[in-house]
Amino acid sequence: MSTLRLLFLLCFVTLLPNFSRHVDAQNSPSLTELEEQAFKQAVALAEPSIVRIQTVGGLDRVGRILTSTGPTTGLVVSADGYIISSAFNFISKPASVLVEFADGRRFPAEVIATDRSRMLTLLKIEADNLQPAEAVPADQIKVGQWGVAAGRTYSPEIPNVSVGIVSAINRVWGKAIQTDAKVSPVNYGGPLLNIEGKVMGVLVPLSASANTETAGVEWYDSGIGFAIPLEDVYQMLERLKEGEDLHPGLMGVTFRRNDLMEGDLLIDMVRPDSPAYRAGMRRGDVLLSVDDIPLTRVGHLRYALGTHYAGDVVPVTFLKNQKKIETTMALVQTLIPYESGFLGILPQRPELTAPRNGVVVRYVYSESAAEDAGIKKDDRIVAFQGEPVTDYESLWTLISRERPENEVSVTFERGALKETVKLTLTGTTEEIPLDLLDEFIPPPAADEVDEDLPTGFTTIPMEAHNHEYWTYIPADYNPAYQYGLVVWIHPGGDTMEASIAQDWQRFCDRRGIILIGPKAAKINSWNLNEAEFIKDAVLDIQTRYNIDTQRVALHGYASGGSFALHLAFKYRDLFRAAAIAAAPITAAPPENDPETRFQVYLTCGEEDAVLPKVEATQKIMEARKFPSVFKKVEGRGHTYPTSTTLEEIAIWLDTLDRL
Amino acid sequence: MNWVFVHLLRKTLCCIIIAGGMSLSCVSTVANADDSQAAVRSIQSRMVKIFGAGGLRNLYSYSTGFLASPDGHIVTVWSHVLDQDRVTVILANGRKETAVVLGAEPQLDLAVLKIEREGLQLPYFDLENHASAAPGTRVLAFSNMFKVATGDEPLSILHGVIAAKTKLTARRGAYEVPYDGPVYIIDAITNNPGAGGGLVTNTQGELLAMIGKELRNNESNTWINYAMPMSELTPVIKQIMTGDYVSQETKPDGEDNPLRYQPLDFGLLMIADVVFRTPAFIEVVDANSLAEELGLKPGDLILFVNDNLVQSCRELRQEFGRLEAGDDLSLTIRRDDKLMTVDAIVPRKVNEN
Repeated sequence: MSTLRLLFLLCFVTLLPNFSRHVDAQNSPSLTELEEQAFKQAVALAEPSIVRIQTVGGLDRVGRILTSTGPTTGLVVSADGYIISSAFNFISKPASVLVEFADGRRFPAEVIATDRSRMLTLLKIEADNLQPAEAVPADQIKVGQWGVAAGRTYSPEIPNVSVGIVSAINRVWGKAIQTDAKVSPVNYGGPLLNIEGKVMGVLVPLSASANTETAGVEWYDSGIGFAIPLEDVYQMLERLKEGEDLHPGLMGVTFRRNDLMEGDLLIDMVRPDSPAYRAGMRRGDVLLSVDDIPLTRVGHLRYALGTHYAGDVVPVTFLKNQKKIETTMALVQTLIPYESGFLGILPQRPELTAPRNGVVVRYVYSESAAEDAGIKKDDRIVAFQGEPVTDYESLWTLISRERPENEVSVTFERGALKETVKLTLTGTTEEIPLDLLDEFIPPPAADEVDEDLPTGFTTIPMEAHNHEYWTYIPADYNPAYQYGLVVWIHPGGDTMEASIAQDWQRFCDRRGIILIGPKAAKINSWNLNEAEFIKDAVLDIQTRYNIDTQRVALHGYASGGSFALHLAFKYRDLFRAAAIAAAPITAAPPENDPETRFQVYLTCGEEDAVLPKVEATQKIMEARKFPSVFKKVEGRGHTYPTSTTLEEIAIWLDTLDRL
Repeated sequence: MNWVFVHLLRKTLCCIIIAGGMSLSCVSTVANADDSQAAVRSIQSRMVKIFGAGGLRNLYSYSTGFLASPDGHIVTVWSHVLDQDRVTVILANGRKETAVVLGAEPQLDLAVLKIEREGLQLPYFDLENHASAAPGTRVLAFSNMFKVATGDEPLSILHGVIAAKTKLTARRGAYEVPYDGPVYIIDAITNNPGAGGGLVTNTQGELLAMIGKELRNNESNTWINYAMPMSELTPVIKQIMTGDYVSQETKPDGEDNPLRYQPLDFGLLMIADVVFRTPAFIEVVDANSLAEELGLKPGDLILFVNDNLVQSCRELRQEFGRLEAGDDLSLTIRRDDKLMTVDAIVPRKVNEN
C-alpha cells in the first residue's frame, strides 16, 4: 500500500467519532490506534456481505470429527442471492440450510454446487439487492500486509474478528493465501479482508497433503490459516452456478522418482484411458511442461495442476523417443484402475519349437465369454479383433488392450472349420476350476536328456551372496517346454524344507512346476537386504531351466508370507503371483500396472489371530484391482495349509496364464 | 482426532511471547511506545503468580492473579489450584507470600485471595477504573501461562484483538461453564494452563477483563479464548473484599428437561426420530388441533421455536418441553423454499384442570 493511501485511510478512520475514543485532541493518535481503527473500519465496510449460516439435521460425525452444530459464515458473491462458503460448514450434509443477515432477515438456502478442490460450497437464496463482496486483485495481495479475518458466528449483529498478516501467497499448490490471523470454524466461509475492507479471500481449512473434506481443520487457530482468493472464486462462479461440482483435475501418471524435490519427470505408469494416455504418454516418456509451466521437479506438476479442475483442457509437452510432442489434454475427476478384459480360457502350453500359428484352447471356463460364444477345448484361436494371433504373447497383448464389457471379435479354427464370433469380455474370474486336469509334459527323448541339468532335489550355492537355495526339478524335466516357478519363502525360525519338498513334489511333477527355496542367512528371520539375493536366485534358476515368466509365483507362510508380499511388490517385473498363507501385507502396494499382471491367493485359518489383517490385505488387493482369491479355512489356527488347500493352490498356479 | 494433542500443538504453534516491557514497540511502533512501556511496567508490578494444589494427573498447580487492594487482596479464577488451605503467591518483585481464599463465586468462576501478612502497602488496580472494548480492539493479555516466568520475572504477554463480545450461553449447552454473562473472545491463544486469572488490557493499559479457564466451545468443537469483563466481576469482587458477599444459591436445575409440552399437545406428529439429528419434519397434523388452526401441514420443517433454532426432533422436544401455558409461541417453518412464521399462545394442556 502506498504511503499516500495509508495516510488517506488513516485520516478517514480518525474522522469517525465512534472509533476515536482514545484519540486525545492534544496528541496525534498513535499508529497503533490508527491501525486498530482501520481494522474495525475494514470489517464495517465488508460487513453487509458477511452472512450467518444455520443448518438443521445432518450427520453428527464425519469420520472421527464431531460435526459442529453452531452457526457458520458465508460471503455474498452476487446481488441476486449467491453466497459462497467453506465446504467444511456442510460436511454434516444438513437437511436444511438457512442464511441470516445482520438485520434479522432469514432465507432458506439451496446448496447449488461444491468445489472439491478449493473446498468451497455455493448457496443460493431468493433475495435481491444484496451487496457482493469486492475482490482484491491478485497483484495487490502482498506478503506482510494486514489480513483481517471475519466471521458471523458469535453474534448475528457484529462480525467476529481476528487480525494477522498475509503469511504467503500461492500456497497449497497455488490455490490459497496463507495468513496468521486465527482461522477456525468460527470464521470458515468468512472473508480475509485487507485493511481497506476489500476481500482477499474466503477462509477455508486446507491441507497440502490431503483433500478430504475435513483436511486442515487440525490447524485451526494455529497461525496457519488459508483463504481462497476471491478473484479466483469469481472466475469459477459461473461453473458453480450451473450446479456443477468441481473436482481436482487428474492426468493419470506416476513417476519413477516420487521425490517432489528432484529429478526428471520420467513417467513410470500411465493409467488406462487417462488424459495422459489419450495424449499419447507412455512409460519411459518424460513430461516437460503442463499448462505452459516448465517442469523440472515432480513438485512443479502439483502447482501446474493444483489450480485446475476436472474438465479443464491444458497444454502439455513431453519427450518420447527424444522427440518433443506438444498437445493438450482434458483433465478428469477419477482415474480408472487398470483391469483387463477376460476371455475365459486357459491356453495350451506348446513345445517351444512348435509352429506359431495360434493359441490352442486347453480349458474353457464355465459361464465365460468364450463359452457363451461357443469356443471349445482344442479350438485354435488365430485372430483377435482382426489382428493375427500367433502365440500366447500376442493374444495376451491384444486382450490386455481391452477392458471388461468391451465387445470384441475372435476367430478360431476347429478342424477344417474357421469361424469368427463376437463376444463381450468380462472381468477376470477368481474362480478356481477344480476340474482342471494336469497338463502332461512328455518326458524328453532319451537322446535329449541334458546330463548337466540335474533333476530332483539339489542345493545351489549363490557365492556372490554367501547364501544358498534348494530346488526341486521335476524328475523328467523336458527343456523343450516351459515350466512354472514357485519360490518358497520360509517363515522365521524354520526353513520347513523337508515338509515343503514332500508336499509340493507331486504338484511339481504333475503340473510342470519348478520349486526353489532360498534360505535366510539367519534362519530365524529374513533381513530386508536379502530381497536382492532372492531376486538373483530367481534370475539364476531362469538361466538354468526353461521357465515361463508369466508363471513365476511366490509362496510364503506366516512371516515368510509377509516377506513374500514385500518381494512381490519390490520386484513387480519378476513375480506374477503370490500364494500367501496366514500372513498380511505390511506396506501399501503400488498402483496396478497394465503391463505386468499380478494375482494373489490368500488363505488363513478361521481361528488364526492374524485373520483380520489378512482380510484387510484382501480388501486392499481388491481395491487395487489385483485379481485375488481369499480362502478362510474352518477350524484352522495359525498353521501351514493342509493338502486340500495346497491342491487348490496348485490348480490356481496352473491358471495364472488364463486369458 | 485427538483434540487434546491438537490443542497442545496449536498452543505450541501460537505462543508469541513478548517478555514484559521489552518490546511493546512491535505493537506500538510510532508515537506512544514510551507510554505503552510505562503502562506495561505498571501492570506487571500489580500481577502475581499463584502456586497451589495440583501437579497430579496432568493438573497444573499454578495460575495467575492480580492485586485489588494495597493490603494484598488478589483476584483470580476459581480453580483446583485453590483447593488447599494456603496457596503461595509470588509478587512482581519476587517476594513470596502465603494467601488464603477470602471468598469465591463459582457461578462467576471467580475467587478473591488475601495475603496473610498484614500492613502491606502494595501497588494495586483500582477496579472501578476499567474500560470496555469492541471487536477489533487491540489487546494485551498478561498471564503466567505454562509457568514460563519464575521469581521476579515479568509475566508473558500476548497481543491480539477482541474477536467478539458474546454470551457463553447464547445457545444452551454450548459451553461447560456455570458463568452465563457476556465475555470477550480474544484472537490470541490465551486459553493455556496457568493463564486463568490473568488480565486483558487495551494498548493504553486500561483494564478490560480477566482471562478465564480453559474451555471448549461445544458448537464448533474448538477451544475458545475468553475473558470475563471487569464490569461483570467488579461488584462481586468488592462485596467479597468487604465481606458483604453471600454466595448465590445454585440455580434450581429446572432447565434440564421439564418436558411440559410435547408436539402431540399441539396436534403435531413428527417424523420418526431415527438418527441423532433427525430434522423436525411434520408427519401428521391432527384435525381440529392448534397446529391445524395455525395452518401447519405435513412435510413442513420446523426451524425455530420462539426464535431458538431447532436442529433436530430432539431439540424440538426440548423447546416444547420448556413452554408453559400462556407463553407466546412462535414457530418458523420451511415449506418448499419459503420460510413462514406463525404465532399462538400456548394453550392449557387438556388433561390439566
